[in-house]
Amino acid sequence: MPVFISRRLLSAAVTVLLAAVLVFAAVQLLPGDVAAQVLGQDATPDAVAALRDRLGLDRPAVLRFLDWLAGAVRGDFGASLVSGEPVADALALHLRNTLLIAVATIAVAVTSSIVLGVLAGLYRDRWPDTVISSLTLIGMSVPEFVVATLLVLALSITVPVLPAVVLDEASAPVADLLPAVVLPAAALSVVMTAYIVRMTRTSVIDVMAGEFVTTARLKGLGTWRVVVRHALPSALLPTLNVIAMNVAWLVGGVVVVENVFNYPGVGTLMLEAVHNRDLPVLQAIAVVSAAVYVLCNLAADLGALALDPRLRTRERSAR
Amino acid sequence: MPRPRDTAGGPPQIPRRTALLGGIGALGAAALLSGCSSAGQSAAPVLAEGSATGSPRPGGVLRMARPPASQAETLDPASSLSAYEYLGALYNRLVRTDENGETAPDLAESWESSGDGTVWTFRLRDRVPFHDGSRLTSADAAYTVRRLVDPELASPQGTVLAPLIDPKKVHTPEPGVLRVELTEPNFEFPALLTNYNCYVVPDGSGAEIGSTGVGTGPFRLESFSPGGRGRVVAFDEHWAGPPVLDAIEMFAMTDIQARTNALLAGQVDLLSQTNLDFATARVVQASERATIARSANAQWYVLPMLTTAEPFTDVRVRTAMKLAYDPQHVVDVALQGTGVVGDDNPVPPGTPYRSDYAVPRDPERARALLAEAGVPGLRVDLYTSSYDPVFTPMALAYRDSAAEAGIEVTVRNASADSYYTQIWMNRPLMATYWYTGRPADQLLNQVFRSGSPYNETAWSDEVFDGLLDDARRAADPDRRRTLYQDAQRRIVDEGGAMTPMFADRLVGISKEVLNYRETGFEFDYLDIGLRP
Repeated sequence: MPVFISRRLLSAAVTVLLAAVLVFAAVQLLPGDVAAQVLGQDATPDAVAALRDRLGLDRPAVLRFLDWLAGAVRGDFGASLVSGEPVADALALHLRNTLLIAVATIAVAVTSSIVLGVLAGLYRDRWPDTVISSLTLIGMSVPEFVVATLLVLALSITVPVLPAVVLDEASAPVADLLPAVVLPAAALSVVMTAYIVRMTRTSVIDVMAGEFVTTARLKGLGTWRVVVRHALPSALLPTLNVIAMNVAWLVGGVVVVENVFNYPGVGTLMLEAVHNRDLPVLQAIAVVSAAVYVLCNLAADLGALALDPRLRTRERSAR
Repeated sequence: MPRPRDTAGGPPQIPRRTALLGGIGALGAAALLSGCSSAGQSAAPVLAEGSATGSPRPGGVLRMARPPASQAETLDPASSLSAYEYLGALYNRLVRTDENGETAPDLAESWESSGDGTVWTFRLRDRVPFHDGSRLTSADAAYTVRRLVDPELASPQGTVLAPLIDPKKVHTPEPGVLRVELTEPNFEFPALLTNYNCYVVPDGSGAEIGSTGVGTGPFRLESFSPGGRGRVVAFDEHWAGPPVLDAIEMFAMTDIQARTNALLAGQVDLLSQTNLDFATARVVQASERATIARSANAQWYVLPMLTTAEPFTDVRVRTAMKLAYDPQHVVDVALQGTGVVGDDNPVPPGTPYRSDYAVPRDPERARALLAEAGVPGLRVDLYTSSYDPVFTPMALAYRDSAAEAGIEVTVRNASADSYYTQIWMNRPLMATYWYTGRPADQLLNQVFRSGSPYNETAWSDEVFDGLLDDARRAADPDRRRTLYQDAQRRIVDEGGAMTPMFADRLVGISKEVLNYRETGFEFDYLDIGLRP
């Protein structure tokens, strides 16, 4: 078990490093650098050259990357090339805001999708399943920004109960941002729920057809007891990975949705940084996103270990 | 971030990232909305002409959505990264452009030149207070002018003014008099000071003006954060009287769909620097809360041919490209009636020096010219992007029209994100636009003169340059007009720019807003107000 975890942590560190390298390389490939992008076509060639010089952009890319890496290892993510402010401060603030959306989304999506998935699985091919499955198909097919736009149309423009966009800045108090969290979280939940519902439904159907369920039923246990005590833990096992992938996906989906709502989260920060070729900011976001991704997967695997004794013994016997 | 194509005169435009994500969403929303709200209407409902006028209620707060320049934006008017919407609220110029395109008094009450046009004397208005309580003197005006031509500052307007002004020859003979000795005669000099970089700042304020915003304007700064929100409040001691509004709140929104949604949801009253696409404009106009104010001939669209790149080095090819297409077709397709044909002349209709010279379309002659130039059946790539909603329809309309002259145009879509740093002035043929509002002299010198950094066709023509020089030296206004008009003929006949059209800007505003009026890069901050 500890070996398993430390091996996973090592591969996690490698993944994060690779992400940083790839993002760095990708930004080098984008047309234009931060000096050209920030100063725009207004700039005289002299001004662009001076800014390049000041930011050290003329140094070889490899050296700049190693510099960045040396700082990052010590926890210093440097300063934004555009605003000159420390990256860590801006990132922490935007991360806090995105977490508001993410936590709300996960809470809503995971709970509701497991309930809906179990219902659909238990009532397979009957009307609750038909309704739930059709809705999830729609939810999966429609991109999140369309869902977001429809929600704005319904709840901000036609019946104005929630704000269509966020007017506050990243540093706004959490309480001020809360009304603005509802629609983005709802939009992301729709898409995320759809995937988890389908996975849960399939595994509930599989498990309910299993011999141990039949045995439990023959012992005379009530349906709900069979479902909750015996079937659900097994059914959730494959679902865990889907949930983990979805949580990691949130980071990407949030970018799109935040843009629609002008929400001051990591997604908005990232778009801004891509646009300006603001490398230190992008690098920090890449590292954080990669870390979230590997941690989610690690958590899913550990969760699976906890839920399924067979996996633990297999691990032990393999040694 | 998104620096306007407009540098020299214009405010920043729709941020390019719109193109990445928001554009699709906006279209989706637009299609949906028009689907349900305008069911009974025909395909192209007419858009409103201008905004409502009337007597607004005193006070009130106007909320404005604006695309931020970037996290590096500043309140320094001379900077290329200035937060444009704040400038007209906080500052005044020596002179401004009035609704007829003429140079009119602002902080300077009057001005006159020496007989040869080399020495200009401006008499400043009396008792004009700055927001910090000090009074405007000629020292402030002199400081402002010297600063603009300081190469260290690299102001966009510096490239226009620096050849004319020696900072040592900017004098202040009296506290109320500014005298500028030009290095060469120029009877159009005051017009060059109407640019939005030329707002007057207090003497010696250069280091802090970017964050303090101290000016003489109708509003004073309450708060500002770069790339974020800010607020200006009425300055009751303003020399022309206080503004109608109590305050203006500005919110930075990079995404055009977010801006539009904010307007439709009633969270903001005005979308600044946002030329709405037609689908969105109809949605906005059909909504209960918002409407469209059209700012007539606010931008001119160009298909620049780089005269230093094959095949456009040959004037016969350039002429053929111009003769080949039907500008009315381009206007009909790309602007859906919200603009007028340009006749390849960039000076806006209805402005003082506009020439009505035009060469009628002639695809047959275009064909003949191409054969003569040795390129029959010319094939060219035309670059466009989603940076502006009109670019691609314009390019496609041009392609279809030019096909009749045997020209095969391939429309290529480039990334909106880096369009103005990578494609503009780098590809032989592409789509672009400028804001109108600069005086003819500045426009012609800045965009068409040999060697100007904004000469996007890299055209170099001694005859044209000579006409501009003569015009600046001509004391007689009629003679000046003739010379500027001859210069325009030269552009139409020889130049590299195709100017198919002038377009109205479609500005989204709340129905609550009264007296929204735009002239020369600035809307009227004094009279704008909200419905009683």
